[in-house]
Amino acid sequence: MAANFRLPVAESSEKREQIAFTFNGQQVMGYEGEPIAVALWACGIKTIRSCGATAQPRGVYCGIGHCYECRAQVDGVANVRTCMTPLSRGTSVSSSSDWHIEGA
Amino acid sequence: MEDVIICRCEGVRYSEILASILEGASAVPGVKKRNRAGMGYCQGRVCQRVINELIERETGQPAPLQRAQAPVRPVLLGDM
Repeated sequence: MAANFRLPVAESSEKREQIAFTFNGQQVMGYEGEPIAVALWACGIKTIRSCGATAQPRGVYCGIGHCYECRAQVDGVANVRTCMTPLSRGTSVSSSSDWHIEGA
Repeated sequence: MEDVIICRCEGVRYSEILASILEGASAVPGVKKRNRAGMGYCQGRVCQRVINELIERETGQPAPLQRAQAPVRPVLLGDM
């Protein structure tokens, strides 16, 4: 992922090592403990899933765990709110389907 | 006015909400039973107030909000 939307200030003050995780099979980088949605956004990924009813792209909307718009399948658990879930090394995130629950 | 989505979880549009009010819905549960608005993952957290105001605007009557029902957040069956 070439895109990087992190603030330069945050970049220089962050001495933490970036960790790798996957989004829909693609490897992306983020900081451990930050919300998954934030890590994705920092990599330029705003579309986390698509709407089951209209097929429009969906991503972070409220960002506080209220609206469930940023839900995704995280490590096999469906419909996890990515704005509320801390990132850890090797986390596997994929766009979840509204009507199909895997591994739950 | 553009036919915006009111209930983002279930993809219910403004025109569908208005149609259900014309059909006789006088409170949020009535709209919900007609077109599923408020039955998605967020359980009406985003759209309920909007639907309520639409009902009040269209009918001129105060519209009660729906009662909170357990479980208040979607949970896995395995966690229950």
